[in-house]
Amino acid sequence: MSRMVGDRVVPAANGARPPGKPLEMRSTPLSARGEPMIWLTGGALVVCLVMIIGLVGMIVTHGMTTFWPRPVEQVTLQDGSVFLGIRTAEDDEPARTLYRTGNRDIGREPFRWVSHADIASIETPPGAVMVEREAWSVWFGVPERAVEVIDGEQRVVAEGYEAVMAYYHAEHASARQRRAEVERLMRQDLGRVNREMERQRLRVRSVELDMQRTDRIGSPMPLPAFVGAAAAVLGLLGVGVAVGRRANGHSVSGRWVRVVRLFCFLGAFIGILGCLLHAPWRGATMTEAELASLRDRTAQREVELQAEYDRILATIREKEAFDARQRLIIVEPTEGRFAPARQIEPDNPIQLSQVVRIVDTNAMGTGQKVGVFLSRWWEFLSTRPREANTEGGVFPVIVGTVMLTLLLTITVTPLGVIAALYLREYAPQGIITSTIRIAVNNLAGVPSIVYGVFGLGFFCYTVGAFVDAGPAPEVRLPPVWWWAGLGTTVAAMIMAYACGVWSRPVPGTEPSKAQIVLRRSGWALWTMTLVLAVTLVVRTPYFTGFFEARAADGSPTFGSRGMLWAALTLALLTLPVVIVSTEEAIASVPNSMREGSYGCGASKWQTLRRIVIPGALPGILTGAILAMARGAGEVAPLMLVGAVKLNQDLPVSGEAPYLHLDRSFMHLGFHIYDLGFQSPDSQAARPLVWTTTLLLLAIVLALNLVAIIIRARLRARLTGSTV
Amino acid sequence: MPYAGTEMSEKPTQGLRHVAFQTEPEKTQRVEYRVIEAIRRGEPVDPSVHASLKDCDGVIEIDSFNLWYGQAQAIYDINMKIPRGEVTALIGPSGCGKSTLLRSINRMNDLIGGVRVDGRMRLNGSPIYAPDVDVIGLRKRLGMVFQKPNPFPMSIYENVVYPLRIDGENRRRVLEEACERSLRSAAIWDEVKDRLKQSALGLSGGQQQRLCIARAIVADPEVLLLDEPCSALDPIATLRIEELITQIAEKYTVLIVTHNMQQAARVSKNTAFMYLGRLVEYGPTADIFQTPALPETEQYVTGRFG
Ligand SMILES: Nc1ncnc2c1ncn2[C@@H]1O[C@H](COP(=O)(O)OP(=O)(O)OP(=O)(O)O)[C@@H](O)[C@H]1O
Ligand SMILES: [Mg+2]
Repeated sequence: MSRMVGDRVVPAANGARPPGKPLEMRSTPLSARGEPMIWLTGGALVVCLVMIIGLVGMIVTHGMTTFWPRPVEQVTLQDGSVFLGIRTAEDDEPARTLYRTGNRDIGREPFRWVSHADIASIETPPGAVMVEREAWSVWFGVPERAVEVIDGEQRVVAEGYEAVMAYYHAEHASARQRRAEVERLMRQDLGRVNREMERQRLRVRSVELDMQRTDRIGSPMPLPAFVGAAAAVLGLLGVGVAVGRRANGHSVSGRWVRVVRLFCFLGAFIGILGCLLHAPWRGATMTEAELASLRDRTAQREVELQAEYDRILATIREKEAFDARQRLIIVEPTEGRFAPARQIEPDNPIQLSQVVRIVDTNAMGTGQKVGVFLSRWWEFLSTRPREANTEGGVFPVIVGTVMLTLLLTITVTPLGVIAALYLREYAPQGIITSTIRIAVNNLAGVPSIVYGVFGLGFFCYTVGAFVDAGPAPEVRLPPVWWWAGLGTTVAAMIMAYACGVWSRPVPGTEPSKAQIVLRRSGWALWTMTLVLAVTLVVRTPYFTGFFEARAADGSPTFGSRGMLWAALTLALLTLPVVIVSTEEAIASVPNSMREGSYGCGASKWQTLRRIVIPGALPGILTGAILAMARGAGEVAPLMLVGAVKLNQDLPVSGEAPYLHLDRSFMHLGFHIYDLGFQSPDSQAARPLVWTTTLLLLAIVLALNLVAIIIRARLRARLTGSTV
Repeated sequence: MPYAGTEMSEKPTQGLRHVAFQTEPEKTQRVEYRVIEAIRRGEPVDPSVHASLKDCDGVIEIDSFNLWYGQAQAIYDINMKIPRGEVTALIGPSGCGKSTLLRSINRMNDLIGGVRVDGRMRLNGSPIYAPDVDVIGLRKRLGMVFQKPNPFPMSIYENVVYPLRIDGENRRRVLEEACERSLRSAAIWDEVKDRLKQSALGLSGGQQQRLCIARAIVADPEVLLLDEPCSALDPIATLRIEELITQIAEKYTVLIVTHNMQQAARVSKNTAFMYLGRLVEYGPTADIFQTPALPETEQYVTGRFG
């Protein structure tokens, strides 16, 4: 016998086993089965997916269609006026169409809403073309003639639409090439000569500045004192090395040995520094006579450079004159005017070399359209922007973005990893470490513009100014004070180290009272050392900056917004991400690995380097990826610390020092904002906003993909799944 | 047949293979656990150390050693000498401090916060717990193998030569020679010689453990500390490791922790029985298993207690 208690079967007292309970077909209540929750959670996921897919889809469709050639329509209005244009947008209520009509340089509205009621007829005449030009945006018209102007005489070389197009196809490539050559001469060769001139001038200037200052730098040592100091340095080094040897030979390093060794090496360090800064061969930089001769030489070189400048300019003029011969007459139907070479010379027809591309969509097959589409993409990716960024390409912008992102990643990753290593592996886990951890986590939530303000104030104006010109004259310490300070710092450092050495208890015993006091004083002394060291650097009388001459002229090098400071600001911004994920990655390395390594006789550092860091590498890379993604998408702080609307000078170039981290740069995020909201012709820029957004998305995705692939490889190696 | 405690007590006749012994069933009923009762009451006891081990040539000498994890004491007043060139087994019920004792010899417990020790331990006469001892150098002289195989996520070759690499040895010939020598000593050379460059994580558990033994002996340590090296392995792998221990015992001193009485009986020369952090009985294995001084030792090794 058995009875039921609730749902369970309780065996009867006499021990007979109850028959098995049959499976009931009764339904479990809905709330217990959780069906609604499935629907709810699934629904939420679907909503998220739809939004994300919608976002990406919208960007992709808009971004991809920008460059597709559309037919050129000839619109005749009820009042008899005629214009050419391409449709760019439609409105239903009231029914109207937005036409891009171009021809801005002869005073036409480049965009025009046309109500459908006003339209008499729309045609797509085969001769109507859209001309993309270097300046003044697009021109719509019908090619009528191609002429060559020689000595003021016009000679018609092609007549009629088809002949003109044939001429265009035959001559355009070489004309563009000449044009590119002129560009290159102007930008590179003239730029090089200009910079060389500037360098010559700065050299004289920096010598002049140096000579004014000789009294302020420490006077050179007399030779006997120098020899004595050098001998002392060598002696100290010798003692230090000997002490170190002895310690190694015994594989037991006593406390005194360590402290004495540190003392010897730091003493030698100060000695070497003093010998370098006050060496007897350091006198005044130059005599007046030498300066005068330097000035003479510079003047001579300047004359040479000026001659070279003139020569290059002559070459440019020659090529331009050649270019000026080939002209196209492309007539608009409204008033029969043709595209001018310049707005101020409406009677001179446009030069062939000024035409970027003639798109005769109406006469094109699909294959040709694809060709135009691709060539526009290529132009977009590989050339510099024109027309206040609304035309041309985004090459400098891509370079700026990629460089910034890489720079930020390679600065933030080591920094964050080292900080996390210390925090997790070396620092005693206590209130202080927890506080630091919380503070770091909170840093991730600080609005990014705050970092921008900090970056501008600290990096650009403080650190940058220091790098440029050294400490301001009024904060420079007199050398005697400075050396006294250095001595104090070193003494504090040795004492701090000694405190650390003696405060360590015998393993397996508790620290005594005295040791606790020692440890606390050790911390105080380290803090003091740090403060003193920073003060010494900030107030040194021996450093006068790397770019003093330029700074004295009021043109800072690193003392203003630039690539380096932007990267550092973003590195600071993304530091918490790296620290947090590295800490997690380190914590996830199994303890048995560490013990195994220690058991083999590895030191803590060896264990970290050979076991923990390699094991944590995938996690560290995840942090780097997150940092990269976040950094690449930031715009607000960049606007303060270095991104600009236009800078044709790339941060990398073939000219020393190759990497120009002091330059301001263009950035895709900022470029999008600029196109959308700061553009003089926002109608024209709107399609580009989409395309640029698509590009930013693609770049971030590509960078992430590379990192993810590397991580997957690493992970596979660590788990031994693929070997 | 693998040893299983409960089964043993039911069928005492199916005894150990090497050391056979018989106990009369009626004797098991009324044993006086004198020492164990004292330990349970927390009273200090006098361990019964057999005469041959009292004044042997000890590689490791442990002298009134105590250890605390924070407030909780895990090891009480242990005095023993580990004789040179022999295999010594540590047995005792779970949680009695065998691993702790083993790990205090190469000072692995330094890595755990809040561990406090008292007493002395000496390796070849020089103190292990002295302020100036170079712990790293110490650990290089004591190879250790853990309960769970823990090969590093690197190639088999790199795993084996790891202790040499951290010593700065980078000459290829030396490394390759050492690798082959210790893989051969660990009886795994034939299985892995064709895949030295492959990841060690692809090996089976038993192979991994033998690899760990190879890693532990590559730098020629003086003492090998084995903490239940076979607990994660099947009987066949266990047998191989046991053969291996017997082989390498010709060159090294081995200290092995085990729960497997048969294993202790088979591989060790001496056995120490611990209980609740104290040493209870310590003597030659044959004596411990056949004529132990204390009844509780006999009860434990036959599996009727613990
Ligand atoms: N890290 C630790 N912190 C605190 N207590 C610990 C720690 N490690 C071990 N103990 C305690 O010390 C005692 C001895 O543990 P130990 O690991 O040495 O036992 P054992 O004899 O090796 O047991 P087993 O046979 O189960 O491995 C146990 O009571 C355990 O709870
Ligand atoms: Mg254990």
